[in-house]
Amino acid sequence: MRKAFTVAKKECSSLFHSWTGVFTGAFFFLVTGIFFTVLVLSYAKLSMDPRLAGSQTSFPNVSQTHYIFGSFFLNANVILLFLVPILTMRSFSEERKHETLELLFTYPLSDLEIVAGKLIGLIWFFEILLVPLAGYFLIFHLIGGELDWGPVISGFLGFWALGTAYLAAGVFVSTLTRNPMISAVGTFALLIVFWMMDLAPMTGEGGVPVILSAMSPLQHFRNLTYGILDLRDIIYFGFFFFYFLFLSLRSIETRNWKHFE
Amino acid sequence: MVTVRKPRSAEGVVRFESVTKNYGKRAVVDNLSFEIARGEVVGFLGPNGAGKTTAMRILSGYFAPSSGHVEIEGIDLFKDPRRAKQRVGYLPETVRFYPDMRVREYLRFVTGLKGVPEKRRTDEVEEKITQCGLSEVSHRLIGRLSKGYRQRVGLAQALIGDPSVLILDEPTTGLDPKQITEIRELIRTLGRERAVILSTHILSEVSMVCNRVLMIHQGQVLASGTVRELEACLKDRDAIFVTVRGPEHERVVTDLLVQIPGAENIRVVERHEGEIRFCLETSHPLDLRPEITELFVKNRLPLLEVRRDQLTLEEIFLKLLKDGWFQMRRAA
Repeated sequence: MRKAFTVAKKECSSLFHSWTGVFTGAFFFLVTGIFFTVLVLSYAKLSMDPRLAGSQTSFPNVSQTHYIFGSFFLNANVILLFLVPILTMRSFSEERKHETLELLFTYPLSDLEIVAGKLIGLIWFFEILLVPLAGYFLIFHLIGGELDWGPVISGFLGFWALGTAYLAAGVFVSTLTRNPMISAVGTFALLIVFWMMDLAPMTGEGGVPVILSAMSPLQHFRNLTYGILDLRDIIYFGFFFFYFLFLSLRSIETRNWKHFE
Repeated sequence: MVTVRKPRSAEGVVRFESVTKNYGKRAVVDNLSFEIARGEVVGFLGPNGAGKTTAMRILSGYFAPSSGHVEIEGIDLFKDPRRAKQRVGYLPETVRFYPDMRVREYLRFVTGLKGVPEKRRTDEVEEKITQCGLSEVSHRLIGRLSKGYRQRVGLAQALIGDPSVLILDEPTTGLDPKQITEIRELIRTLGRERAVILSTHILSEVSMVCNRVLMIHQGQVLASGTVRELEACLKDRDAIFVTVRGPEHERVVTDLLVQIPGAENIRVVERHEGEIRFCLETSHPLDLRPEITELFVKNRLPLLEVRRDQLTLEEIFLKLLKDGWFQMRRAA
């Protein structure tokens, strides 16, 4: 597996050396920064409201942490819809376009090491993007906020799990085409479908909408942002991730029996 | 088919055994078998679409054949790919590498993938940079290099890990004449202690670089042997080249040449600056040059040159393709 880390290191560092990486990073910080500021200000406005002043009962169940960070992570999932396709389109489509993938397959490393390596590299990049978010906690602390660590950590964990799951799905789409643009659009479409599955219960009662929404990653992500740590959600994300890893492996294996250029 | 088969020996580094590759119903490589020994430089020769690249991709481990066996130093390439691929270096036909990586950084990355021990990596990279003449550009981005340098980067990455088999797909396309000479020289040197397979459609390249030729057409071996052996098969065929000034004489000359007994396969090979060159073939003992000269002088045609030559590799190849002439001669 050491070779997978060699691939991961290259994948991650090449993102830092490219405009794609720089722009996505800047975009991520800009948007999360706006979300954070808006949420803090809106909480501040709410707490200044004289009608709510001093009354514990009229402001029920809403702690500062929940109000700000719960919504923060929930909103941040929208960023992933844009971020992930741009990150994953490079992984296989661009390598196929540059014909470097052909060489990679002739080196003494397995398909699993290639796919896992690329995925790990992307996850590293995503994790590096997450680290500065901790700065928001610091700011929150400095302006006198009360942190409830449970939901914050589970929200973080949920956002990480959602991101890695989306990255796995994006890498799979990327193995299907040699055109990076198609890969990005395809990944975006797939993620939108997952997003809409979450809305299914609004359309009606009954089995199908419930099943659809249970299959949506957002449903499981939402629990985590509320600070509910449920084994089922963790298993769900694990399954999602490995399922798409498996599909990617099958997809690049097709080079053995059909044109793959 | 003329096959100069080598006896199977311990030196056989590459063994390709009845390999077939189908795309749908079409066989791109059709029951192809050959063996290559250490110290051999073998030229894969064939028109575009003959199956050269596909055969080389199979040999590089890029994809598996539909059926058949490939062994590298006795290791099955598709049963134990990790160990077998360790012994193969591959330079694809067109590759742009990672344009945003620097040469040294890229080669370093390859040492990791090929499993060169940690301690040796720096030496390995520096060694290949020197060997392939990349010292001047080692800090530059690959995307900014000229085609010639990029080809050398390709060669350098193939050489990392000192593989015993080198597969080079059209290594000289797109290079300028000086670079071509340098690369050929390098390939010859590399071939001394390795098995090298290179594909090309430039026939002169084969006679310059290779010890052996495999002519491939429609996924099958058309002929195999050393350049000399193949030429010897046609030794009793001569080509006579006749050059005449004035394009207006083309009809007259063709008519004249046809009348000469023993002249076969008459054709125009070149028209250039008002000169026309004809080629005709004869069987060996027959020398038609005096007859031709006499005939032309008698008809007051502006004859510039009459030259007799053995058929070149190019002509052998055309013959082979055209009418399965080899088989006919063997049958006779």
